[in-house]
Amino acid sequence: MRAWAASVEEVFREAAARWTLVAYFALSSLFILIFGLAVNLDVVNGALAGAKLFGQSVDLPSRSIDIDRLVLGFESGFSGFLYLVGTFLALFATAHLVPRLQEKGTVDLYLSRPVGRVALLLSRYSGGLLLAAANLVYLIGAIWLIIIWKTHVVHARFLLGGVTVLFTIAVLLAFAFLVGVATSSTGVSLMTTYAIFFVAAMLAAHKKIAAAMSAEWAAKLVDGLYWVFPKTAELGRATVAQVAGARVFHGAAPPNLFAVYGSTALFGLAALSLSCWLFSRKDF
Amino acid sequence: MDMPPAIEARGLKKVYRSGLGGRGVIALAGIDLRVEPGEVFGLLGPNGAGKTTAVKILLGLTHPTAGEASIFGVPVGDPTSRRRVGYLPEGHRFPGYLTARETLSIFGRMSGVAPQDSRRRIPALLERLRLSEWSDVRVKKFSKGMTQRLGLAAALVHEPDVLLLDEPTDGVDPVGRREIRDLLLEEAGRGRAILLNSHLLSEVERVCGRVAVLRAGSVAAEGRIDELTAASLTAGASAKAVSRYKLVASGVDDGLLSELRGEGALVERVNGHFDLTARDRAHLNVLVDRLRARGAELEELTPVRSSLEDVFVGLVSPSPSHPVSQSGGPADEVSDGGTGGLGDWGKQP
Repeated sequence: MRAWAASVEEVFREAAARWTLVAYFALSSLFILIFGLAVNLDVVNGALAGAKLFGQSVDLPSRSIDIDRLVLGFESGFSGFLYLVGTFLALFATAHLVPRLQEKGTVDLYLSRPVGRVALLLSRYSGGLLLAAANLVYLIGAIWLIIIWKTHVVHARFLLGGVTVLFTIAVLLAFAFLVGVATSSTGVSLMTTYAIFFVAAMLAAHKKIAAAMSAEWAAKLVDGLYWVFPKTAELGRATVAQVAGARVFHGAAPPNLFAVYGSTALFGLAALSLSCWLFSRKDF
Repeated sequence: MDMPPAIEARGLKKVYRSGLGGRGVIALAGIDLRVEPGEVFGLLGPNGAGKTTAVKILLGLTHPTAGEASIFGVPVGDPTSRRRVGYLPEGHRFPGYLTARETLSIFGRMSGVAPQDSRRRIPALLERLRLSEWSDVRVKKFSKGMTQRLGLAAALVHEPDVLLLDEPTDGVDPVGRREIRDLLLEEAGRGRAILLNSHLLSEVERVCGRVAVLRAGSVAAEGRIDELTAASLTAGASAKAVSRYKLVASGVDDGLLSELRGEGALVERVNGHFDLTARDRAHLNVLVDRLRARGAELEELTPVRSSLEDVFVGLVSPSPSHPVSQSGGPADEVSDGGTGGLGDWGKQP
């Protein structure tokens, strides 16, 4: 436990020293500040009577706007934005953790301590995840409080969106660790993880893609890849759905959440297990 | 029950595979090592001889192809074996963003040091290694020598019973080298076993009690330094059969020299003294008796020892049957496990 805590602390110190932590929180703070200070809403009897953005009045339609619906719309939209940007930023800030650990002259210092290799790798992983979680809690929590302050509307569901974002980060970080262990390259690790994100998102349309395939084996391959890869598109929709309720699925079939979360978790577990196995077997 | 040795390796072999179906490169060809508590043991050899591979196996950084190794009886594959090991790698790179104090705190905790012990040990260690004034300065500002001293502090922070040191005086000035030497002897005096991997043979000679010379993955010679450097240890001669001495005496004329040669001694006049080689101690006494009987006056009779460097060069010099790599690569391909061209004096019991 002591060694784990030391390793996690080192991840945070490294992030701070490389300005990752500062940049991460500075960008979040900037967003929070802009949102908190620039937006002024005039709410009368549960309806939006007027709004100002950066001190300028915003033209509102003549009919009254239900403030609850407006907040829900903003929150679900923000969750979708956070799912994409938050995931990418978190990976960018943490993908170097394994390649840097494996650098010549560094890896000896860590592995010569009485810590098992799997424990060492998992402590780095949990450190990276904690870093991402800390930023998510800060950003989502602050925005949520500002919304309550400005509109007096409380939607606890907004906080749930962060859980799915963190789940997605956890799965993709596991894959980044696997590539990091195998190649010792931060660049390759980042590029392949982003590629997985986009390819997996495209595979959400696997039925249409498979139908367009001329060969049966190719169609089966596309279907197979869909079930192997994380369901990044569905998770994005699920994040928005969690925040907005079922209304987001108007016109679209709600995804099978069990299959989406289950198969994605399996992908992450497999990637993490494989990276631990590979790291244990490596000669340094 | 006997206490297990601090370090023990038996039949340690490492083959690096060079890809699918590759023949592989032998880094270690099955070496045996044994280091007792309180002993300072030197591991010598040219680049690519397998020294670093041996140390890395002892630390679990590299997996052996065959053989076994243990630290105080705990197999090196078990991470707990490293609870009692402090390691200073060559060319180490501590995180530059940490201060010296933070470095020792983090690596100490990774070795299981409790916070209250850290608070006590870290200032004392920094003081001992002359880093107190730099304790809150980031490591990236440190000179090579300071980084090396910090590395030693990190190796000692959990008060290990075994120290594995790879070039500990690398980049350190002469004063610092002496301090490190004194520190190592002090640690050995406390009962710690030290395995020193160094190219600075003069340092090794001053600190180590025993050494092993690796060549192409095998132990070419092992023993106490005074045994290895005894001048009698010349290639092709029996270790116990020949002794060479520096003789300073007056009244030695050519006739006496001929008599000594007639007794089977090798005598040469060298820069005002004589280089005398006897078969053994009894033979030496016969020669001395002959000298005194002929009126020669002995002023000095000293065993001649070659320096460790002479021994090392003699051992690792390329021979037609056993080429030695100077490339610094991981290892040479080993054609046999023997001592190739060393004669019968290489291995000491």
